[in-house]
Amino acid sequence: MPRGDRMSAATETERAAGEEGLAAYRFILTVLAYAVPFVFILLPLILFLIQSFYYVEDGNIVHQLTLRNYERFFAGRGFVPVFFNTILLCLGVAAITVLFGYPIAYLLASLRGRRKYVMMVVFVVPLMMSYIIKIYAIRAILGGNGFLNRILLYLGVVDEPLTFLIFNLKAVLVTLSIILLPFAVLPIFIALERIPRSVVDASADLGASAFQSFRDIVWPLSVQGTIVGATFVFVLALGDFITPQMVGGMSGFTFGRIIYSQFGFAFNWPFGAALSVILLVVVLVAIVGTGLITRARHQL
Amino acid sequence: MIRLPAAATAVLFLVAGFVLLVLYGPLFVAVFFSFFSFENNAVQWDSFSLDAYWSLIHDESIIDSVLNSLLVGGVAIVLALVLGTTLAFYYNGSRSRFREVLQLVIFLPFLMPPIITGLSLLVFFREVDFPRSLVTVIIGHTVFVLALAYRIILARLQTLRTSLVEASLDLGASRWQTFRYVLAPSLMSAIGSAAILAFALSFDETLITLLVTGTESTLPMRLWAMMRLGFTPDINALVTVILVATTVLSLVAIRFVKLPDQS
Repeated sequence: MPRGDRMSAATETERAAGEEGLAAYRFILTVLAYAVPFVFILLPLILFLIQSFYYVEDGNIVHQLTLRNYERFFAGRGFVPVFFNTILLCLGVAAITVLFGYPIAYLLASLRGRRKYVMMVVFVVPLMMSYIIKIYAIRAILGGNGFLNRILLYLGVVDEPLTFLIFNLKAVLVTLSIILLPFAVLPIFIALERIPRSVVDASADLGASAFQSFRDIVWPLSVQGTIVGATFVFVLALGDFITPQMVGGMSGFTFGRIIYSQFGFAFNWPFGAALSVILLVVVLVAIVGTGLITRARHQL
Repeated sequence: MIRLPAAATAVLFLVAGFVLLVLYGPLFVAVFFSFFSFENNAVQWDSFSLDAYWSLIHDESIIDSVLNSLLVGGVAIVLALVLGTTLAFYYNGSRSRFREVLQLVIFLPFLMPPIITGLSLLVFFREVDFPRSLVTVIIGHTVFVLALAYRIILARLQTLRTSLVEASLDLGASRWQTFRYVLAPSLMSAIGSAAILAFALSFDETLITLLVTGTESTLPMRLWAMMRLGFTPDINALVTVILVATTVLSLVAIRFVKLPDQS
């Protein structure tokens, strides 16, 4: 038998074995890849969605599908106004963070060298800082017995501590804005960094004023990042229930708090689930809307 | 960037200065009052003491919560990194249409407000009769940081040329050897970045934790419980310690982490 044949036969079997191994490897990888996300992310969400169609009777959850939770939301007096107020509140937070975040992102993008590095550190570090601690610190400043009031009393500006600084929706607005501001700065900064310097230089060379360059070149190229930043902040603000609870007091009731209370002392999980589904719809509209706007602009 | 008029630059610095004051001012006040006391409407400058820190070390509930946080963060990042790497390899090598669906599912806990992720896990654990404990917290954190780990590792994986893998296989290396000696070393820095960021996220996670935990507290939850009592030197001391730790961690992160967007 010629040697060549034996060799090719050997490689043949090796290849077959290799392909079999590859197929097995692929199969295991596929199962592993799908199992965890589907069991621990998708399945809970689906169960949660189904939960919103159950109802509670005598303190027990009845596993029977009904629309009464959604009816209660739309018919009940208390929920729809809180829902819209919360959306307005979160839009306000998004607007404030973008209003302050844009100039900061612009400053970061225009700095060079060491100054840029230091400024970036200063604005990125708060992103990693504990969320609870920020609420605590802000509350210590705004509170009736807080630092701001003590300073005002000390300076003689007021005779009695101001009570409107905390435990209302405005305090929630201020606190959320402070906490979420770095989340708005980051996407705007990334968008501004991506603008080629040559484009801005060309605009100036062609005689555009600083304002014209900004309006016609920089702003259109960074508006996407700004929208992404605003959406990011809006979604994070919408789902928060600890901040409103800590600085909102009795009058600072938000949708997130109502949802949370359904899983606590109110003990109506199905109703809480239904309210969450409504919240999720708003989030989806915001995210999909952002996706559409940014994609449409991308194609221009 | 545009050469701005001096007045515009001044405004930018003014806004930045104001925001810095608002971001850091409250934190400095808390740090300050961990050392000094405030009585009779004035700072007692001669009251400097480290007592608050001393009592912190002896508070078992705080030590326990720190250990819980470290345990949860440690286990969650190991799980998220292993899963994230597996998923990145799958996505990178697959031609299946479902890989996009899978990717969307992974991103969900990052896109949705944490309250939704937390509540859906809460309902899930109850439906399958799984008691709430640190295990459920670990699952919650893993699911939450998975998207980040996956994204960073995938971004690196996609920059690696397939010729490297092919060369390794041609030279007779097994798949495991190729992974161990060719891919893993190139992925190490991405995995390191993912680990730092994931740990930072996990350490601070409060909303999901609050919803899926049993009787044990992590550090943010313990803080939250303490905060309801008011503004005390003990809390300020704890706040100071955490701030120092997270600042160091973020400086390390800024030094070493390369986000996919920057490449």
